[in-house]
Parts: sequence; C-alpha cells; structure tokens
Amino acid sequence: MNEAALRAMRRTRQRHRLGNIEWFDAAYRAYLVGLFGGGTVLWISSSVHDATVSAAVAADVARHAPAILGLVAAVALLAGLRGGAQGGPVALEAADVMHVMLAPVERRRALLRPALQRVRGAVFISATAGAIAGQLAGRRLPGTLLAWAGGGALFGASIAMLWAGAALLGHTVLAHGRAPRWLATAIGLVVVVWQSAAIYVLVRDSSVTIAGPADAFGSLALWGWRQHSSDLIAVVVGVAAVAAGLLLLGRISLEALARRSALVAQLRFAVTMQDLRTVILLRRQLNQEHTRRNPWRRLQPVARKNLTSVVRRRGWQGILRFPATRVARIAALSVAFGVLQAVVVRGTTPAVIASAFVAFIIGLEVMEPLSQEVDQPDRTDSFPIERGELLVRHLVAPAVALLPFAIIAGIAATITLGSIDAIAPVAIFALPNMLAGATGGVVSIVRDAPDPISATGNSATQSFVPPEMAGFGATVRLLWPIVVSAVGCSMVFALRAAADSGGGTGELVGAAIRGAIGSVLLALLVGYWAKVRDRVRRKIKAFMNEGRAQALGAR
Amino acid sequence: MTAMNDTTSVRDLALSTIQLSKDYGDRPAVLPLDLQIPFGQHVALVGHNGSGKTTLLRMVAGLLDPTGGSARIGGHLSGSMPARAALSWLSDTPTFYDDLSLREHLEYVSRLHGVNDSASRGEELLARLQLENRGDDVPTTFSRGLRQKAAIALALVRPFRVLLVDEPFVGLDAAGKQALLELLDEAAADGRTLIVATHELAFVDRVQRLLALRDGELVYDGPPGATDVHQLVRAG
Repeated sequence: MNEAALRAMRRTRQRHRLGNIEWFDAAYRAYLVGLFGGGTVLWISSSVHDATVSAAVAADVARHAPAILGLVAAVALLAGLRGGAQGGPVALEAADVMHVMLAPVERRRALLRPALQRVRGAVFISATAGAIAGQLAGRRLPGTLLAWAGGGALFGASIAMLWAGAALLGHTVLAHGRAPRWLATAIGLVVVVWQSAAIYVLVRDSSVTIAGPADAFGSLALWGWRQHSSDLIAVVVGVAAVAAGLLLLGRISLEALARRSALVAQLRFAVTMQDLRTVILLRRQLNQEHTRRNPWRRLQPVARKNLTSVVRRRGWQGILRFPATRVARIAALSVAFGVLQAVVVRGTTPAVIASAFVAFIIGLEVMEPLSQEVDQPDRTDSFPIERGELLVRHLVAPAVALLPFAIIAGIAATITLGSIDAIAPVAIFALPNMLAGATGGVVSIVRDAPDPISATGNSATQSFVPPEMAGFGATVRLLWPIVVSAVGCSMVFALRAAADSGGGTGELVGAAIRGAIGSVLLALLVGYWAKVRDRVRRKIKAFMNEGRAQALGAR
Repeated sequence: MTAMNDTTSVRDLALSTIQLSKDYGDRPAVLPLDLQIPFGQHVALVGHNGSGKTTLLRMVAGLLDPTGGSARIGGHLSGSMPARAALSWLSDTPTFYDDLSLREHLEYVSRLHGVNDSASRGEELLARLQLENRGDDVPTTFSRGLRQKAAIALALVRPFRVLLVDEPFVGLDAAGKQALLELLDEAAADGRTLIVATHELAFVDRVQRLLALRDGELVYDGPPGATDVHQLVRAG
C-alpha cells in the first residue's frame, strides 16, 4: 500500500517534471552537445597525426597495459570503498529523506531507483570517457577505431560498476560503526599496492610476473585489438558488486543520506552551471573532508607585517591545515601528471589534454587560500586594498607549496621515460611545468570574483545575447581555464621535439630550459592578469560609457 | 520521574533510551542518556544553543546514528518500520519537494503512512493554519513562517502516537503560534505523546515534564514548576 503510494507519487512528479520541460530547447541542447561535443572530440582526435607504433612497441603495450590499466580499476575500488564508508554513493533530495525515509515504507525498495540511477549515470560517463580514450588509442595501435571505442566503453563501464558496487558495499557493510573507519581504506590500499607491485615487477624484469588482482579489467581495455574471454571476469565482478550492493540497500544510513541531501542539491546546481570549482569543493564536503584542527606545523609570529607577508602567512596557515587525504590526493594527481607528460614526450599527443585537466585540478586544490578569499567577497572588498593586489599575493604560498608535488611528478615522469638522460631535464622542467599547468586553476578561481562592472553598470544588456551565443559563452567559460592549463602543459613539446630529433642530454637540457622559461612566463602572465583584471575591466567600462555619452550628446 | 517500575515494559513507553550517546569526532554532543517517557506524556526539552537538543531528537527520529546505546519508540528500535509508523517528526528546518503543491504534499505524506483519504484532515489543518489559499502553491516558494506552517500541517496530517518537535515556534506570527499551541493541546488531549524542544520558555508551563540538557548532559528531569528554567538554559 505504502509502496504503491510511493510509486504513484513518483509517477506524478515525473509527469510534473516532463510537463515543465521545454522540449524544443532540450532537443536543441542535445543537438548542440551531440554535434559540438562528439564532433569536437572526433575532429581533435583525427587532427592528431601521431605515428602508428612499431610492432615492438605494440607488443610492449600488449604486455604491460593490462597491469597498468588494471591500476585504474584498483584505484576505482579504493575510491568506491572510501566513498561508501564516508556515506556515498546514493543521494536523495532532502524532502525524500524527511518524508519517504521516515515513513513506514520498505527502505530497500524506496532506495532502489535512486541507487540504480546513480549506477547508470556513473556507467554512462565512464563508458563515454572509455570510448573516447579507446578511439584515441586505436589511432596508434592495431585494430579498428570502432572496436577500440567499444572496448574502451566496456572497460569504462566495468570500472564504473566496480566503483559503484564497492561504494554500495562500503556503505552497507563497513560504514557507520559496522567496521573500523580505516578498514575500507585498508582493503582498497591492499589491492592498489598489490596491483602496483605487479606493475613494478613487470616493468623491472620482463621474465618474472605477478598477476595483479585487477589485470582482467586492464586487459578488457584492449578488446579493440584482441579479445581474451577470461577478461569477462571483470564484467562479472563489476555486475556482482553492484548486485550485492543493491541487495543490501536497506542497510544504508539515514544520517548519511540526510547529510548528503543538502550538499547534493548544491552539487546538482553547480553541475548545471558548469561550475567545476564548486563541484570539486562540494565533493570534498560530501566526502567529509575537513581541514585539520591542528595544522601540520604552527607558524611563528613574524616581525615584518607588510601586505605581502600578511597574505603569504595567511596562505601558509590554510595550506598547513590541508587534511592528509587532500595531500595524498594531490600527490596521486601529481604522479598522474608526471606520467601523462612523459607519455606526451614518448609520442602520444592527446595525453597533453588529460595532463592539462589533471594540472587544472591540482591548481584548484593547491590554490585553496586564493579560493577562500574569492569566496568571501564582502570581506575581501572591505579591506582598504585593491582586490587584484590582494589576489596576486595569494599566489605566492601555493606556488611554493607545489614544489614537493612537482618533485613527485618529476620522479613519476623519469620512471615512465625509463632513461637516466631524463633526470636533468626533468629536474629543470618539473616545477615550472606544474606551475604553468596549475594556472588554469588560478583563472577559474579569480574569474569567480564578483565582477566590478556589473556591480556599477548595467548587466541587463548581457541578457539579450541570443541562445546560440549564450551556449557558446557557457562552453568558453567552462573550457577557458582548462585551455590555459593546456597551454601550460604544452610546453612539454619542447622536450618532445628534442627527444624526437635524437639529441643528447645537452639538447634535452636546453629544451627543458626553454620549456621552463615558457612555463614561467605563462605563470607570470596569469599572475599579472589576476592583479590588473578589475582595473582593466573598469577602464573598459569607463571608456564605453564615455563613448555612449558622446554619442548621445551628438544626437 | 525517570525511575519506572521494573515491571514496566519498553512497549509501554513512548520513548526509552539506554545509554544513548552521540559524538562528532572528539566533541561529545549527547552524553550517555537513560530516559523513559510513557505514552501520553507532554514533555518539553530545553537547553542552551549547542546543548544537544536537536541531536537527541534526531537520534530518536532515526535521522542520526547513535555513537552508543539505543533509542526505542514503543519498544521498537528508532528508525525501524513500526517506529517510523508511530513517530511524527517536525523538524526545525522544513523540507519540501519543489515540484509538488502543498495539497499534493499532504496527500503524498498521508498515503505513505497508509491513509487513503486524508483530504478532510488536510483541509482542516490548512484552514486552522490559515493556509487554505496557499494549498495549491509549491511550499518551497513560501516565506519562513509559511514554510513552518506547512511543515506543521505535514507532521499532523498523518497518524502518529509520538510527536517529536524541534523549535516549532521559529518564524511563526502570533496567530500561527496560537494555532500551533491549540493543535499540540489537541494532540495531547487525544493521548499522543509530545516531546517539544524549544527556547520559548512560556511554553514550558503547558507541559507535564521538563527535560533540560546542558553540554549534552541531562541536568534536570522533573516537573516544570519545581525549577528555575532560565537558569537551566544558560550555557555552563
């Protein structure tokens, strides 16, 4: 009876939602996404003319890829278990928590649909990403593009199911006092370390192998090229994990659902607004990532108290409260950044886009003090200081804080390149390279500061922009910071050109110096933009007002 | 007042807690609490901001997982199906669907609680809370006071034996407060158990039993007339 009421009202609500949809608008958006999104991916992919790999390299990929890509599955398992233990992955709207979950309705049934929607969404996104990566791989490796895209999609879908299943099981079996807090992380880490050991042994000595626990997942990614029926075990594991999680849905904690419900509404809004920075911020809150009560190190009082030292000190105070999980996440992202940059040097151009995205995320993470300043505009504007002067000083402490992560990225890149000759150029290039990559994060944060023009001028004129231009504007707004990161990351092409020309260490060092100079120049340019942005916009506005006044006077 | 006869079963108690506690990391919110409230009792829960009132009520409602101990509603573990059927929770932060009108909310909530024909009770509540003209509006668009009235209607439209209320007077105008007091009095007269957390000390005179929390600890449990309530709600 009560379940029937639930079904009936969900149908009613669905009818309301469908009734509110502007179908023409929705179809037009889908058309834009399909045409521009899909078209852009294929255009960029086809415009990269990386050479097809040699038979020896292809054999090397076939041997190493299952273990290396299996690490993605191991990390997904770790992320899922941790996320589940912290209350994920199901999220309900607050009203459902209050009215449905507190009603005498069987909770498993009430939660089944939102849980399935969560799994479906994760599978769709992951499969799409897998298909894109697959067709990129197919341009350098044997096999058709379509087969590679299909294999990539299957790999992505399996990873997503493993993540979702692990998260559901982490929540229903391990969370909320059922097991010690550290157990979910420990189980995930065991799998990650085991898989990493399998990779290490494989790379170090090809005559010895250890089977990694997630090799089947990695092998599935190569289905565009060759198919091993034993790889289907990965699909079975993913489906079984989801099925087991769904069976135990009734054990989900209402406390976790209530806590997440408030954040999820904000998260959905941020996603709708394509606000990546807010999405990342809210994901931290969803994972209950709080700053440390006791900083890693307490700062001594300083004698000098000019503006620069005050802001720098505030920056370090924030950075020294980063929780261990965030430090570990930035370190893991740094490893990924180093590996991806090395992969670019070894000839895979599209990896520069992936490395740009990783660097952009690192930038958002490390630039937290700047982010906090921008997110408190009333306080910032109450200081008797030009906002740009304040913001540019906020870049100093995070830039220095990037150093250990740049070293981590450098080590990862050197190992990936597998040559002693790489050590010197990587040592020169690592920090400027990461700094330049992180500038996209700075752009994303600073542009979120309140617009000095719209506060005084007439912003209503912007609302008359035609929908096509508004859509284009939104896309540019979303992609612009990542483009800046991509420009920063593309300095690595200087090293690749030197490596391709077969130059020795001297030539590689020269290329690294050139790349480092380019990276530093970009970082300085972005810092200068942060400093003068408000001033320039105000001048433009004043100039336009003056022109308008003169035109009116002439009339 | 808390000491019950040994032969009293937990089934005879509207609310019973055994060593119920909650902490947030290293900060205790509610210290281990043993409490027994029989059916039909009218109880006020007072305490300063951060004393643990809301945490206690949310644990009883099943919305928070206790760190230790347990709470039972009519002998059933809080959060279980029979406990949910018996308990109505009126939160201090009303939440609504943004695609249902107030009348649709009333219908939905009552049907989830097994009531097929709730229209007359719903209309009566809307009239008494002066919401009859807003029944077809979406409550997420309401002002703070109207949202509170809508939440009261939702809490009372469904059958219940125990009513948990957290700060019900916040945002209400004088007429709204009066209507709520009358509705609470009627529920009490019908034999329902009322547990009301409030800062409105005038309300305390209407109850049979007063509970006071200070820094998560129960510091008073007795009749409201036998203590200085103002002293009790001061932070320690």
